[in-house]
Amino acid sequence: MTTSSVVQETVATTVDHQGSGPGSTEPGKTATPAKGDKPARRRKTNFGMFLWVSPFLVLAFLFSYFPLYGWIYSLYDYKPALGLSGSEFVGFQWFRLLVSSPAQVEQIGKVLTNTFAISFLGIATSVLPLIFAVFLNEVRVKWFRNMVQTLTTLPNFISWVLVYMIAFSLFSSTGLVNDVLMDAGLITTPMKFLDSDQHVWLTMTAWSIWKGLGWGAIIYLAAIAGVDPSLYESAKMDGAGRFQTMWYVTIPQLMPTYLVLLLLSVANLLNNGMEQYFVFQNAFNKEHIQVLDLYVYNIGLTGNSMSMATAIGMLKSLISVVLLFTVNAIAKRVRGQSLV
Amino acid sequence: MKLKRSVALAASALLAAGALSSCASDSTSSTDGAEGTTAGPITEFPAQWEDEITIDVFSGLANYMGMQTGWFAQVVKDKFNMNLNIIAPNVAGGGDTLYNTRVAAGDLGDLIVTDKGTRMNELIQGGLLLDMADYYPAMEHVAEFDTAVQHLNEGTDGVYATPTQVSSLLPTQSSEGFDPTFGPFIRWDLYAELGYPEIDTLEDLLPVLKGMQELHPTTENGQTVYPLSLFKDWDGNMMVTGKQPTTFYGYDEVGFVLAKADGSDYQSIIDSDSEYIRTMRFYYEANQMGLMDPESTTQNYDTLFSKFQNGQVLFSWWPWLGQSAFNTDANTSAGKGFMIAPLKDMEIFSYGAEAYGGDQVIAIGSQAEDPERMAAFIDWLYSPEGTYMNNSQTMGAAGPEGLTWEIAEDGEPALTDFGLEVFLGGDATVPEEWGGGSYIDGTSALNVSAVLPEDTDTATGLPFSYKSWPSYQEHTETALHADWSEHMGGAMTTMEYLEQNDAVLVAPGASFTTPTDSSEIETLRNQIKDVVVTYSWQLVFAQDDAQFESLLADLQSKAEGLGFAQVLEVDMANAKAQNDARLAITAAFE
Repeated sequence: MTTSSVVQETVATTVDHQGSGPGSTEPGKTATPAKGDKPARRRKTNFGMFLWVSPFLVLAFLFSYFPLYGWIYSLYDYKPALGLSGSEFVGFQWFRLLVSSPAQVEQIGKVLTNTFAISFLGIATSVLPLIFAVFLNEVRVKWFRNMVQTLTTLPNFISWVLVYMIAFSLFSSTGLVNDVLMDAGLITTPMKFLDSDQHVWLTMTAWSIWKGLGWGAIIYLAAIAGVDPSLYESAKMDGAGRFQTMWYVTIPQLMPTYLVLLLLSVANLLNNGMEQYFVFQNAFNKEHIQVLDLYVYNIGLTGNSMSMATAIGMLKSLISVVLLFTVNAIAKRVRGQSLV
Repeated sequence: MKLKRSVALAASALLAAGALSSCASDSTSSTDGAEGTTAGPITEFPAQWEDEITIDVFSGLANYMGMQTGWFAQVVKDKFNMNLNIIAPNVAGGGDTLYNTRVAAGDLGDLIVTDKGTRMNELIQGGLLLDMADYYPAMEHVAEFDTAVQHLNEGTDGVYATPTQVSSLLPTQSSEGFDPTFGPFIRWDLYAELGYPEIDTLEDLLPVLKGMQELHPTTENGQTVYPLSLFKDWDGNMMVTGKQPTTFYGYDEVGFVLAKADGSDYQSIIDSDSEYIRTMRFYYEANQMGLMDPESTTQNYDTLFSKFQNGQVLFSWWPWLGQSAFNTDANTSAGKGFMIAPLKDMEIFSYGAEAYGGDQVIAIGSQAEDPERMAAFIDWLYSPEGTYMNNSQTMGAAGPEGLTWEIAEDGEPALTDFGLEVFLGGDATVPEEWGGGSYIDGTSALNVSAVLPEDTDTATGLPFSYKSWPSYQEHTETALHADWSEHMGGAMTTMEYLEQNDAVLVAPGASFTTPTDSSEIETLRNQIKDVVVTYSWQLVFAQDDAQFESLLADLQSKAEGLGFAQVLEVDMANAKAQNDARLAITAAFE
C-alpha cells in the first residue's frame, strides 16, 4: 500500500502541475489575476495537490485509524447477540484478567515467544530467495530456467487450506509417506508428522519457504536483470570466474534490494498471519504453533470471548510501538538520523 | 481538471460511504429485532402457501450442512412450499465461530434450533428471536404441550421458543425406550468367539478387546481393525469420547463437574482419581496395547461412522453409533453386530423424560422471511405426522406412513417391506413419487425430536419409535439377538437387561437449565476448556507412564493457574441445584 500510493501520489502531482501550469487553456483560468500574484497561485496549487492526496488520506483513515474505534470492545463484555449497546461496560476487567494469574501471563509469554521465533526464522531464511535467484540466473538453458521459475512460483498461489490438504495426504498417519515406509517394512507404527510437538517452528518455516521461495526470488531476478552488463564484462576481463562474478558483482548489486526487503519484514515482525498456523494447528502442536494472531482468533471466535480477544489484540499494537522506537533508537545511533 | 477533481472526490466519498455503511449495518440490524409482521393473533394457518421460499435453518444438532434433499425435502416442499437450507455448526466446526458471526450480523436463520438457558435468553434479549404469541393460538399441536411451553417462556413477555423432546411420560421414567443413550457396546460375535470372558469393570475390557482384535485383525476389504477409535469434532468442556465411559457409572457433566445421577457423588474432572482421568488412563493403556486407531486425532464423526459400517472398530459408547452403523440385516442374521457388554459394575446413566422438555428449543428468527409459515412448520413438527417423519432417524423415527410403515390388520403399526429394508438392511432407494434417492440421506437433517420418540401416539396406543413396536421386535429375532439374549439372562432388550441387573440409573427429567455464567467465569471456562481438551488428547497418546503423569500434572497446574477453582465452584453449585431440581420434580409428580 505505502509504495504504490507514494507512486500514485507522485504521478498525481505531476499531472496536477501540468494541468494548472502557465500553458493551461482552461476557461476558468482566464479569470485569474495577472502574473505576479504568486502566493495565491501557490495556495491554489497546494490545495489542488491536497485534493489529489485526499483519497489516500481517506483510505488511510478508514483502514488504519477508523478500526481503532474497535478497541472500545475491550472495555465491554461484548455479546454478539446483544450488540455493543446492550453489552455491559466492564472497564479494564479484561486487562486485569490478562495479568491476574501467572498461568495467564505465561500463556501470553508462550504465544509471544512463538510469534517472535517464527518471525525470526522467517527473517533468517529470507536470504534463501536471494541465493535461489542468483543461482537460477546462472542457468544458461532458457526453457529450463523458465520452467524452474514457474514451478517454484506456483505454490505461492495455492491457499494454505490446499497446502494443508497436500500435507495431510502426504504426512498423516495414513498418508502416502507412512504407507510407503510401512509397506517397505522400515517402520511398524505410523510416524506422527503432523500431530506432534517436535520442531513445529522449523516445519512451519519449511512450509512457508516451500510456498514463498519462487515468489520471493522474482524481485531479485528483476534486480539482476537491471545490473549494468559492463560490470560483468570488466569482471571477466579481470579474470573473475563464475562464482567470483556472483560473489563480487551480483550479490553486492542485490544488497540494497535485500536490505529494503529485510527492513520491511522486520516491520512486519508481529504480522506472521494466522492462516498457515490455523490450518496446521491441533491438540498436539498447539503449544508451539499458537502465534499472536491465531491466539486472538482462538480466544475471540472459537472461545467466544471477543472482548478479551480485543484486549490481547491491543497488545500487538503496544509491542509494535515499542519495536518501532527501539529500531528508531538504533537507527539514530548507527546512521545518525532517525526514522520518525 | 475540474472533472478529475470531482471524479476523485466522488470516488473517495463513495468509498467512505461504502465502508461506513457496511460497518453500520451490523449494529442497526440487530436492534430492529422482534417486530411481527401480522396485524394480530391468528387462529388458523392457511391451507396453501403461495410463493416458494428457501429458508435458513440454524440447527445446533444437525450433522449435515446444505440443502435438505430426498423424501423429507419433498414432504416439506409439498406441505409448506419451501426448501430447507441447513446450517450446522457441528459440521462447520471451530466451536462457536459460526454462531457468533451469524449472531453479530443480526440474523441467525429463519428457523433456529438452539440451547435453552444462556443462549436462548441472550437471543431474546438481543432481539434475534421472534415472538410467536400471535401465531400461538393457531399452533394446535404445540398447544398439547402447553405446560412445557409456558414453563420454557417463563419470565419473557411472549412465546419465543418451543421445547423439544416433550412427552407425557413421568420424569422418573427413562426417556430412552429399549435402548439407553449410553452403554459399552462391543462386537458381540467376536466376544462370543473369545468364549464370553467375564468383564468385571471398565479396564477388563482391554484384554477382551485385544483378544477380539487378534481374532479379527483386518476387515474383509483389508483395512486394519482398531478396537477403539476416537473423534474430535464434538469436544466441549472436555474430550467428548473421554466423558462417555463415565456415563457407564452413572455420571454426567455439569461444566467441569461429573455429577452422579442420584446425587450421591460430585467429581472435579481433573482430579487424579476422577472418572474422567480414569477414562484417560483407559485410552492410554489401549493405545499402548495397540488398540487405539492412530487416525483418532484427525478424523471426524462421519469418518468414524463409516469405519463402524466397515467393521473397523469394535467398541462403541452409544447404540446409535455402533448398532445403527453396523447392525444391518445382513450382519445380524449372520450373527454379527454390536450388543451391550456385560460389565458387572456398570450403572448406566439414563435421562428421565424431561418434564418440561429437553435442552434444545425451536424458535423463529426475527428476520424470518415468512414467520407465519415458520410457525406452521414448527406446529407440524409436533403433530403425529411430523413426529413420525422428522424425529431423528437414529432415535427410531418411523418415517412417512404408507412408505416405511402402515397400520396392520390388527390395528397396530408395522414396518412395510420397504421399511424393513431401510431399518434392518441399512438403506433403500425411495420410490420416485416420494422424491427418490437414498432413504437415509433423505431423512430430516434437523436432527431434533420435537416430541419424544418414546411418547405414545394416541391413535395407535404405541410409542412413535418403531423400535418399540411389537411387530418390530419380532423382526429383530436374529441369530445375533438370540445369542445375546441367551447369555444375558433371557433379556429381550438392552433396557430390560439393565433393569433386571440394576445396572441403570435414571436421572429424573427436571428440565433444569444451568444459569448464565458471569462474563469472567465464561472467559475462564473457555480458556480452561481448551487446556483440558488439548491435554486430554496428549494424555491418550502419551509415550509412556512417566509422560502421562507429567502431562497430567501439567494439565492440573495449568488449569488451576487459569482459575479452575473459581469455575469449579460455580459448576459444583449448579450440579447441586440440578440435583435439588430433580428431587423436587420427583416429589411433584409422585
